[in-house]
Formats: sequence, C-alpha cells, structure tokens
Amino acid sequence: MTYAKPLPTIDDDNRPFWEALTHGELRLQRCLACGHHRYPIAPACPRCLAAEHEWTRLSGRGRVFSYVVFHHVYHEAFRPDVPYNVALVQLDEGPFMFSNVVGVPNEALRCDLPVTVVFDRVTEAVTLPRFRPLEDP
Amino acid sequence: MGGHVGAPHVAIVGVGATPQGKLPGATPLGLQVDAFRLALADAGLRKDEVDGLLTMPGTTTPEGARNYLRLGEALGLAPRFTASLSMGGATALVLMQLATQAIAAGAATTVACVFGDTARTGGSRFAAAYGWGDSWGIWGMFAAAANSAMTARRHMHEYGTTSRQLAEVAVACRRHASLNPAAVMREPMTIEDHQASRPVVEPLRLYDCCLISDGGVAFIVTSVERARRLRARPVRVLGVAQAHSPETIGNPEWWYVPHQQTAAEAAYRAAGVGPEAVDVAQLYDNFTISVIVWLEHAGFCKRGEGGAFVEGGRIQLGGALPVNTAGGNLSESYMQGWLHVVEGVRQLRGECGPRQVEDAEVGLVTGRGMTLNCAAAAVLARD
Repeated sequence: MTYAKPLPTIDDDNRPFWEALTHGELRLQRCLACGHHRYPIAPACPRCLAAEHEWTRLSGRGRVFSYVVFHHVYHEAFRPDVPYNVALVQLDEGPFMFSNVVGVPNEALRCDLPVTVVFDRVTEAVTLPRFRPLEDP
Repeated sequence: MGGHVGAPHVAIVGVGATPQGKLPGATPLGLQVDAFRLALADAGLRKDEVDGLLTMPGTTTPEGARNYLRLGEALGLAPRFTASLSMGGATALVLMQLATQAIAAGAATTVACVFGDTARTGGSRFAAAYGWGDSWGIWGMFAAAANSAMTARRHMHEYGTTSRQLAEVAVACRRHASLNPAAVMREPMTIEDHQASRPVVEPLRLYDCCLISDGGVAFIVTSVERARRLRARPVRVLGVAQAHSPETIGNPEWWYVPHQQTAAEAAYRAAGVGPEAVDVAQLYDNFTISVIVWLEHAGFCKRGEGGAFVEGGRIQLGGALPVNTAGGNLSESYMQGWLHVVEGVRQLRGECGPRQVEDAEVGLVTGRGMTLNCAAAAVLARD
C-alpha cells in the first residue's frame, strides 16, 4: 500500500538527519563554535552564525511541551487517523520538534509528559521520529 | 499630544470597507478598487491627491507581491512611494507605520493602504502546512488553527486558562457583531453554544476560529495638517510599531509570541501613553486565545491573567475594556486585521451608533500574522 501522507524532501542539507533515522538514531546539528543544538535544520547556527557543525546523536528523550488533537481533516490521508495528536516536544538537549505521541490515548496526554523517541519506518527511505511516554502515564 | 519621539504628526483620514462575507464573482483586485474608492470618498480626497500606495496581496491575489503594480494600474495612480507586503495579520499596521514614516520623511504626502481578498469563494489557503523545507504536514500538523491551539494548550497548562474563558472572547465579538449591520455573523452566541461547537484542533473549537471571508478594505494616511482641511474627522496615529520572531520552534518562547509585547510597548512609548489611557481596543483575533494573549502583552493584565480578565463580559461594551467592537475576525469578517483599523478609526470619530464606546479618545489596534511570527500595534487618538 502506498504511503499517502506528506513525506520529507530529502536533500544534501537534511540527508544526515533522515539517514540517521533509518539506522534508529536521532541526530541533529550541533554548532562546533558555540555548542548550540539547532532545529529546524539550517545552514548556520542561528545563535552565533558559525557554519561548522556536527550531526550529534541525541538521547531521544524529552517532554511534551504542548500538544493538540486534530478532529478536522485538513489532508485526506489523515482521515482514518482523526482524532490524532501532534505534540511540540522539547528534547532534553534543548531543541523543539513537532511529532506524534504514540502508545497513549489522546485523553491521557498532558504538557510536560516525559517521552522518548521511537522510530517508525513509513517507507523504505523514510523513518519518522515519533515519541512514546517514558513511563506509564 | 504631539512632540513625542517616534510619533509623527500623521492622521488616518479616510477608511473604506466593501461588503463582506461570501461575494460570488468578486475578485481581489475589484474589491481593492472598491475599497479605495470608498476610502477616498470618506476622506473627501481626489485620487490625484494620493501619491503613495501600499498594498497587501490577498491570499487569492494571482500577482502576489506585484500587487502594488497591478492595483496602481487599475487605479490610474502615479505614486512616488509604493510597495506590497505580506505579513499576514500584522500587515495593515506595518503598512500604517511605513505610511507614517514616508510622510514624516517627505517621501509622500498622502498614502493609501489597500487590501482585497476572495478567500471565501476563491479557495482558502489557510489549511496548508507550515515549515520551510520539510513540511510540518509530515506529522499531520496543518493549518493556522494548530499553531494557536498549541499556544492555548500551553497557556491552559501554565495558567489554568479554560475553554469557557476562550468562549468569553467569542461571545463578546459576536455580541458586538450583532450591533454591526456590516458584520457577517450576527446571530447571538452563548458560552454554551461555544462549548457545544465541534472541536477543530483541540483545545480549539469551531467558535474559537475566525471566519474565512471575501472583502476589501482601505485606509488613507496623511499629515495632521492636511487632514484637518479634509471632510472626515482626523484620527491621529500617536504611535505605531512592529516586532517579529522569524524563528518558529527554534525560539523556546515562540508559542507565547513574545514580540507582541515588544510591538505594543514600542507603540505606547511612541505615543507617550500606556494601557491605562486606552478606551477601546481592537485586538487581533484569528483565534480566541490570541485576544487573551494580546491582553497580557499589551499590558491590560499580567502574564497568565488574560483568561481571568475576559470573564464576566469584561471585554464587552460596557465592560472594563471593550474589545473588537465591530465583531473582529471572529464575527465581523476575516480581513486579517484591516477591519480592526477601520473600527479603531470609526470609534474615535464617534460614528459607531449602538456599539459606540462613549467618549472614546484613545484606541489600541493590534495585529499578528504568519506562523506566530509577526506583530504590530498602533495607538490612535481623536484629534
């Protein structure tokens, strides 16, 4: 069955992020000049503007900073999923990312819930980072 | 009143708004032309007296950023100052600021600011996913409502804000719209009606969300001196400012839109007044939570107290601070804040009939746009 939801456009700038995910690793850019972990993926550090960076492996742990539950269908491929959640996760290393929290009913979600990354292979080339509660909520 | 740093002697001298709502057959350009004609007539100006043209392209405007050129041609103008700008709901006030600066600098004498859109009948673009490069749609994160829903959820978590408090905002806007013959949604609404409306992106319900509308709006800015010789009663621009957080989730405070406070404080500073001087406020309401956050940022209450501030009808006419007296984006029409300027002006002219705030002398108008990125605020005053 074809995957009908939006997929990332993998290019030279973001390939290390998406490749690492296929190996079960969450990696983000860390500035070699000031140490800032940055996300979204960017050509330079938005704090100090240095371009030099490494793709550092993160703990995968974080917390649900905020979350929403979609009832309205904005994209047909998500119709079977409503109501589904989207969370704004703050990783322990600092960066925020949007994702989904799995393994927990939407009613049990809460802000500041500790979570850890899980790797959801949706196509051969793309593994999406999602999150599950670190403990039973 | 004058003489404050950053407050040029500039006034809004004409406002125009076309019919609003669902306008089959209308085009964004045609609506801009209609709004411009109405604003000219309101001011008592001839079109050859307008030497500046600033525009915001509608979401359905085919020429996009070249809208200034297309509209300039349609209006037969030869401006010596013109541009188009897209900052969503902050644009009207940012253009007001550009107009005041152009007039103060002698780059133009009389500047028309114009917007038109057919988002209702021409295909809404507000359901798209955000994000540069990789789309947030990968995770199912679509539409403007979701960003404000993130804000609402965190605000609820940190400060105990409730959905019933969000409802107070929707109910106030609807009550004001019921007093505005030009408003699109005039049926009375109760807190219970709001609570019974369907969830869209929780914690936001249908009645937390603005309308999607067709319409055109224009306003004309000129020097106070020139304004006093014209037909309409001038409304002075005491202070107008913009501030932005182009970073989205890269900024830990993005959800709380901190640049709104920067913009509001700069507008007050330029005006030489504070929130205690404001008699009536038009606060940008793409979603109900936005009004609550603006009340905090514009200094009407402390951070986290916006939910309590709106309880018991305190932002309705007759309350502590009447907000969005024409109905706002939620119930008048979604003109991305342009009608907030029109209502801000009309209140200070005393033209608002049953929804008039008695003796309104100073008004605040705020705008915010894009992915919670852009903000602007203006302090207006009766001349």
